[in-house]
Amino acid sequence: MAVLSEVKKNYGKMKNYVNGEWVDSNSSKLLDMENPATTDVIGQVPLSTRDETNAAIEAASDAWWAWRETSPVSRARLMFNLKAIMEREFENIARIISQEQGKTIDDARGETRRCIENVEVASGITSLQMGYNLEDGAAANIDEEVIISPLGVFAAVCPFNFPGMVPFWFWPYAVATGNTYIIKPSEQVPMTSQYIFKLIDEAGFPPGVVNLVNGREDAVNPLFEHPAVKGVSFVGSTPVAKWIYKMGGQHGKRVQAQGGAKNSLVVMPDAILDKTVNNMLASFYGCAGQRCLAGSNLIGVGDIAEPLLKKLLDASQKIKVGYGLDESSNMGPVISGAAKKKVLGYIDKGVEEGAKLLLDGRNIKVPGYEKGHFIGPTVFKDVSPDMTIAKEEIFGPVVSFMAMDSLDDAIEFIHTSPFGNAASIYTQNGKWARDFRYRVQCGNIGINVGVVAAMAYFPFAGYKDSFFGDLHGQGKDAVAFFTDRKVVITRWF
Amino acid sequence: MVECDFPELNSFGTVIRFALELEMVAATVNEQLANDPKLASASETFREIAANHKKREILLVNTRREKLNEMILEPIQDLDRERYIVDPNIPAGADLKKSASFAAGIESTSAEFYNDSSKIAKNLLSEAARIMEKMAKENLVNKSKLDAL
Repeated sequence: MAVLSEVKKNYGKMKNYVNGEWVDSNSSKLLDMENPATTDVIGQVPLSTRDETNAAIEAASDAWWAWRETSPVSRARLMFNLKAIMEREFENIARIISQEQGKTIDDARGETRRCIENVEVASGITSLQMGYNLEDGAAANIDEEVIISPLGVFAAVCPFNFPGMVPFWFWPYAVATGNTYIIKPSEQVPMTSQYIFKLIDEAGFPPGVVNLVNGREDAVNPLFEHPAVKGVSFVGSTPVAKWIYKMGGQHGKRVQAQGGAKNSLVVMPDAILDKTVNNMLASFYGCAGQRCLAGSNLIGVGDIAEPLLKKLLDASQKIKVGYGLDESSNMGPVISGAAKKKVLGYIDKGVEEGAKLLLDGRNIKVPGYEKGHFIGPTVFKDVSPDMTIAKEEIFGPVVSFMAMDSLDDAIEFIHTSPFGNAASIYTQNGKWARDFRYRVQCGNIGINVGVVAAMAYFPFAGYKDSFFGDLHGQGKDAVAFFTDRKVVITRWF
Repeated sequence: MVECDFPELNSFGTVIRFALELEMVAATVNEQLANDPKLASASETFREIAANHKKREILLVNTRREKLNEMILEPIQDLDRERYIVDPNIPAGADLKKSASFAAGIESTSAEFYNDSSKIAKNLLSEAARIMEKMAKENLVNKSKLDAL
C-alpha cells in the first residue's frame, strides 16, 4: 500500500500571526519539530518571548471593541467562510496532523471533521447567544431582560495529542460571541495551527481578532499577568491544569483546564463479546493511547473475564502499527522519544510490580520506519488495583486487565482514582447500564462504546482531577464561558 | 495501462481507498472503451458509465470527509481483499462483446464489494452503509447496460 504524500517535507520556521500579519519571532530559542514516525526534522518552532505574547494581547485588545460591535450575523458569516475553506483544505489539514502528530490518517481525518463541526456549531451563534426577557418582569411597566455579552480577550494553551481539534473547542465560540483570541499551540505540533491560521486569514477575520503565538512558558505566563485577558482555556496534564487554574484564580481570570485521566472499561458478563472487543480496540489504541479519553484499565466482571482477555489479545495482535500516512496502519507512533521512554518505563514498572505481560509492544520494529517512536499494543493481565499501571495515566497503547466479581467492585475501583474523565460499561442489561451512568463519578460515560470526544454541540466534560473549572469546552458551555449575562431593567416615564 | 493499488481492508479508510481504486479502474476502462473506434456503436454507453464512476469518486471522497469521525475508527475484519481486486487491463484486440463483458465483470465485482462493505459498515456507520448499498445497485444497473451490448 502506497503511503500518502506529505503536504510538505519541511515547513521551515513557524511564525506568529498577530494583528492579521505573519511575524517572525525574535526569540533565539528554536526547537526542531520532528515527524514521530520517521524522526525527520520537519520544521522549527520559536519559543516566543513574553513581549511577543504581550504584543498579541495588545493586538487582540485593540481589535476587541470593533469586533464586539460587529453584528453576530456578520461574525457567523465569517465562520461560514472558514468552514468552506476548511472543507476545501480538509485532506491537507488531516495529512499535516498525521505527519506531525503521528496518528493514523483516518484518525486525523476524524479530528479535522471535528474542527469543522465546531465551526459549524459556532456559525449558529445568532441563536446560541440570544438572551431572554420578560415584559413587566421587574414590575408593572418595568421590563427586565438578560443580554449575553462578550468580555474581551481570551486565550487557549493547547496540547500535542489533538493539534487540530483542541483549539477548535474554544476559539470559534469565543470569536463568534464577540471576543478576540490568542492560541498557543503545543510546541511539539505547531504546524497544524500554522496551516489553519492561513485559512483563518483567508476567511477574512479582521486583524487582531484571532492571533497565534508559538512557544512555551514565556509565551504562556503573560496570558495570566496581562489585565486585558479575561480567561484561559487549557488542555494537558493534571499538574499543569492545576497550575493554570491556580494562576487564573490569582489573577482573576476565568479558567477551564482539562487535565489527565485514567479511564476504565467495564465488561459485564452479558456483553456481546465480538462487538465489545472491536470497539475497545479504538479506545485503547486510537492515537496510540495518547487521548485523555483513551481506555486504559479493562475490567472483566465474572465469567466473561477469561474469554474477553483472550479475544482482546487476539485482536490486539492484529493491529497494524505503522506510519500514519499509510492508510493501512491501525496505529501510529507516540509523539516523541521522551514519550516513548515514559511509556516503556510504565511497562517495565508493570512487570516489576508483578503484572503478567501477555503482549509486549516494547520492541516492535516497523519496516522502513526503524527510528520511529513506535510502541506496539501491550496487554497486561493479573493487574491489581494498587499497581502503578492501574493508577497512573500511561498515555500509550497499554491495557491493564483486571478481573472483578461484580459491578459494585468495578465502580468502587473506578472511584479510587483521583481522575474522573471517562468510564465505559459494556452490557445488554439496562439496569446495570443505568446504575453505571448514575453512580460513576466521571464526566464522560460510555455505554457499549469507548468514550470519544463529545460532538461539537455537547460539552467535553470531566470531573475531579480531570477538570478544573465550571464550564467546559464546546457547545453551550463554551458560549457561557466566553460571555457574561447583563441584566437590564427598563422603565420609560 | 491503469495504475492501481488495492489496499488491505482493515479500516474504514482502507475500504474507501479500495472503493476509490475500483471507481478509478471502472472509469478509466469505460473511457478507454468509449474512445476505441472499433467499439463506436457502444461509445455512448461506455461514456455514460465512465461518467457515473467519476461522479461516484467524488461521492466517496465526500463520504470519507464527512462521515468519518472518532466514533468509527474501529478496525475492520472479515473483508477479503483478494475477492474484490479487478483487472484494470482490457484484453488486447477484444471485440465489442468481449469488451462489454470485461467491463461488466468490473461492475459485478464492485457490486459484491459494496454489498459486503455495506454489511460491515452498518454496525459502524449506517449513513455510509446506505451509500454503499446504493452504489452496489448502480453497479448492477451498469452491468445490465453492458450485458445488453
